Amino acid sequence: MTQMIQDSPMVREPNQDVVVHIQQVSFAYGAKQLFSALDLELKKGNIYGLLGKNGAGKTTLLKILSGQLFCEEGAVRTLDDDPRMRKPSLLSEIFYLPEEFPLPKMKASEYLAMRSPFYPKFDHSKFQAYCKEFDVDLSQRLDQMSLGQKKKVLLSFGLASNTSLLILDEPTNGLDIPSKRQFRQTVASAMTENRTFIISTHQVRDMENLIDPIIILHDGKVIFNDTVASMSDRYVLSLTTSKPEFEQSVYTEKVLGGWMVLKERDDEQEGKPLDLETLFNVVIELSRSQKMGGVQ
Amino acid sequence: MNRLYALLKRELKTDQKDLTTYALVIVLVLFGFETMQSILARSMGTSFPAEVYGELFSSFLLVGGFILTSLIFSEDMFSKDHQHEWLLLPATNLEKFLSKALFVTIGYPVALTLLFFLTSVVTEPIQLIIFGNPMRLFNPFADSEFISLLGQFWVWNSIFLLGATYFRKAHFIKTVLAIGVIGLVLGLLALLFTKIVFSIRFGSSIEMFDAFFYLNPIQSSSTRGFVALSKSLYYVVLPLFCMVTAFYRVEEVQATDAV
Repeated sequence: MTQMIQDSPMVREPNQDVVVHIQQVSFAYGAKQLFSALDLELKKGNIYGLLGKNGAGKTTLLKILSGQLFCEEGAVRTLDDDPRMRKPSLLSEIFYLPEEFPLPKMKASEYLAMRSPFYPKFDHSKFQAYCKEFDVDLSQRLDQMSLGQKKKVLLSFGLASNTSLLILDEPTNGLDIPSKRQFRQTVASAMTENRTFIISTHQVRDMENLIDPIIILHDGKVIFNDTVASMSDRYVLSLTTSKPEFEQSVYTEKVLGGWMVLKERDDEQEGKPLDLETLFNVVIELSRSQKMGGVQ
Repeated sequence: MNRLYALLKRELKTDQKDLTTYALVIVLVLFGFETMQSILARSMGTSFPAEVYGELFSSFLLVGGFILTSLIFSEDMFSKDHQHEWLLLPATNLEKFLSKALFVTIGYPVALTLLFFLTSVVTEPIQLIIFGNPMRLFNPFADSEFISLLGQFWVWNSIFLLGATYFRKAHFIKTVLAIGVIGLVLGLLALLFTKIVFSIRFGSSIEMFDAFFYLNPIQSSSTRGFVALSKSLYYVVLPLFCMVTAFYRVEEVQATDAV
């Protein structure tokens, strides 16, 4: 487990597959230090899930790597460019969907005509197709749409813009249940080997089977940046009715009807699939116990 | 160039509704003002005033223009809900700044002049039919003060543009207050400086305002250079300084929201 939890600074030469390279970044809001010596490397062709507690700095991190905020120390490279420069060539390869946003008082079609010229690779037919998939009425005024509908318009726009990097901050907030499923399907179908998605979310159940690898931000550092499969290869999750022995498990949690136990895998032991919520809790718990010098 | 055009189009489209309302208000004010003038002139038996548009034009150009300029960066730079879209819009910081600066510095006076002219084209025949007033279309170029007015607008607008990028909230009020404070300080310093210089040249017995008489720019050739220098500082250096500083504010702006 400790191998997966990143503690040491990452010093690597950037290569073509690297979309985001963050090295020793420090950032503070006034006196409140948010990140100190944060390292992160993201490779293209993945749908990354960015998880963290409230106030862990997920949105701030997304804003730093997209050039909306400038770090105080350290280096940030996004698509092999300095995001602080906000060059059009870089910005036309980034699409950012914030958690909450107002849209101008105009129809979706007018918004499209106003904003699409800034994205050279924008595909109008794809935009129409995505809007159809999401059941969005383009003749409706944007300011009269619900948050969910606005998100669908912007998401359709982002996917049709064919940018290399799509940053989605809590994209399923405001979406109804069928739209969440539609969201997963559309994002999965829009994924190509040259694209990268970074999805920040609290709604891990909405993102199950979509986001992988997972990045967990905690106490100003990236404490986990790996795939769910790699965790499943090392650990096995099972349900027991009796309280497990302290030495036997890596992580235990009292659940309805017994105990959920995470153990180190020693053979081809069958177990429950590791869900994102458990993974998050395990990583946070282990990070805390490592800091305190304990085991569990 | 295409991006700059797209940015200008964006400015117009996003503010379309507010600008249309503002234009309607101007049209109604002009029509109302003109009608009131006609009624007053008829009831008092006096002749209709020759210039009605000119007075209102300068008010709308200066006050309306400065308020518009003060608000031009408000949402895109300082509203946490809007700024992400503008900050991440694929255009250079210079293009983003220029689109807004051109919009308020050139676009607004041109649009206002056209609106006044078109309003006069519609209003004047109505006034002629109803009140029998002579047709006087709005022609700013007939007014010798028009160029001077535009010059003043150019200078003060650049100051309000700087205020729009410098202050996060209440841009107009804060800019007016800042101008007041800076003006007061500079005035006191100038008074002090002048008093010292005049005392050296004319002796301490001479009164300040008498000294101004002796240094009448028409009479003194040495002061002509000083006046030319002052004019170039006022009309060229000051606006350019404000514009360049405002641009650097745009370059360094970051998202303003907290965690």
